[in-house]
Amino acid sequence: MISSNAPCLVLVAQKWSDMKLYDYVLSGNCYKVRLLLHFLDIKCTLEPVDFYPGRAHKSPSFRRINPLEQLPVLELDDGKTRICDSQAILIYLAHKFDPSRHWFPVNEPEKLGCVVQWLTFANCITAASSRARLHDMLGYTCDITAARAHAHRAFRHLEDHLCHQEFNGINWLAGAQPTLADVACFPYTCLAGDGGIDIFIYPAIQRWLRRFATLPRFHPMPGINIR
Amino acid sequence: MNHTTKNIPTDPKNCLTDWVPVGLTNHIPRGAVVRAYIDQFDIAIWRGEDGFVRAWENRCPHRGMRLSYGFVQGNRLTCLYHGWTFGGDGICHLIPAHPDLTPPETIHTHIYPTCETGGLIWVALASMPAPAPVIKGAWTPCRSLHFVQQITLAALLADSGLSSTPLTEYAVCATRKNQTQAVLAIQPMGKHGMMVHCSIASCDHEAALHDTSRWLMTRRAKIEDTVPE
Repeated sequence: MISSNAPCLVLVAQKWSDMKLYDYVLSGNCYKVRLLLHFLDIKCTLEPVDFYPGRAHKSPSFRRINPLEQLPVLELDDGKTRICDSQAILIYLAHKFDPSRHWFPVNEPEKLGCVVQWLTFANCITAASSRARLHDMLGYTCDITAARAHAHRAFRHLEDHLCHQEFNGINWLAGAQPTLADVACFPYTCLAGDGGIDIFIYPAIQRWLRRFATLPRFHPMPGINIR
Repeated sequence: MNHTTKNIPTDPKNCLTDWVPVGLTNHIPRGAVVRAYIDQFDIAIWRGEDGFVRAWENRCPHRGMRLSYGFVQGNRLTCLYHGWTFGGDGICHLIPAHPDLTPPETIHTHIYPTCETGGLIWVALASMPAPAPVIKGAWTPCRSLHFVQQITLAALLADSGLSSTPLTEYAVCATRKNQTQAVLAIQPMGKHGMMVHCSIASCDHEAALHDTSRWLMTRRAKIEDTVPE
């Protein structure tokens, strides 16, 4: 019989793991993984990779970790298995550590379909918004006009969807509760301004970003400033 | 060095004389600050805990930081950069680097008058604006849409099958055949295009919101497909 609740609360409140996240603090894709770790209250070792200016993700040693030369990478507690795509990492973490199935609703097929649709859409946002951001912040070359135009097309779609969700009294992309869909789309939407993409013209997106930032255990990253 | 607002852009009074809609009333809850353009004028709009909406030139008189990056506490707005804190009247109350100093009243933001009616928030840029608009009846905010090009109200409504009554220079009350009554208002934003804000008669329900939004999206697609960039 446990006489005091206190030690139990500590155990329940924070899950420790031996996982390791290869991470870059300014990457929106790494941020989405860190966000979910915070939401699920999981401690994980962060292994910083000098993406800029060191270009350490292009080094032979990192190529052995991820031949695609991309961040983030999650190394599981067996020290061998590695998951290399941010959306894949989100799905792994939710499946492994969220018994409530709120974040990734595998037991509700229709909702699951919606969530996965937005996980895929998050890649459209990243492809445009992150590219523009790398151009403006780190001097990468790209067709900046095309990147911004693609971002606006994606954001207009997101705006229309969020408006219609609000009409139905729904605050989140795929239902009444936040899911991986919101986690995956949040970073590069919120960081769009870094790439010269104005999002003040999307009021429903702004309202959704504000709601997201008030979630319990929300954690910002450098460049994200909403209250 | 004196810190009064010296670098106000070209006097707006010659640009827009009427009240301009800048968003739906529910877009800015208490404690929120957003950015809006009227023509080329960059504006920070925020709502204090007292429920009152303020519109200021989007520029801190200290170092020019956008005040829309700031944060609202109570009925004050604090600039994100150095924490200069302004009351609802625009006057600076606190300079954190000099906590014991009572800032002189000459340090203030450039403020514009605001009002709320018809489910919309309105701002007047002119130094001597016309009387604030009053749109009678109860209205539910529907949505705001961005248009890439800036067009006139007349062009927005042309061949739309709507019957409309003018409310202000920027707004009409519009009715589609057998459909909900709506306030349609445009916010010109210069090179940023324009926003179209819409609220509907409050007696209506959820389906009317969807229906109105779909109509607006179709209208936008038609206009953007035909107007050359």
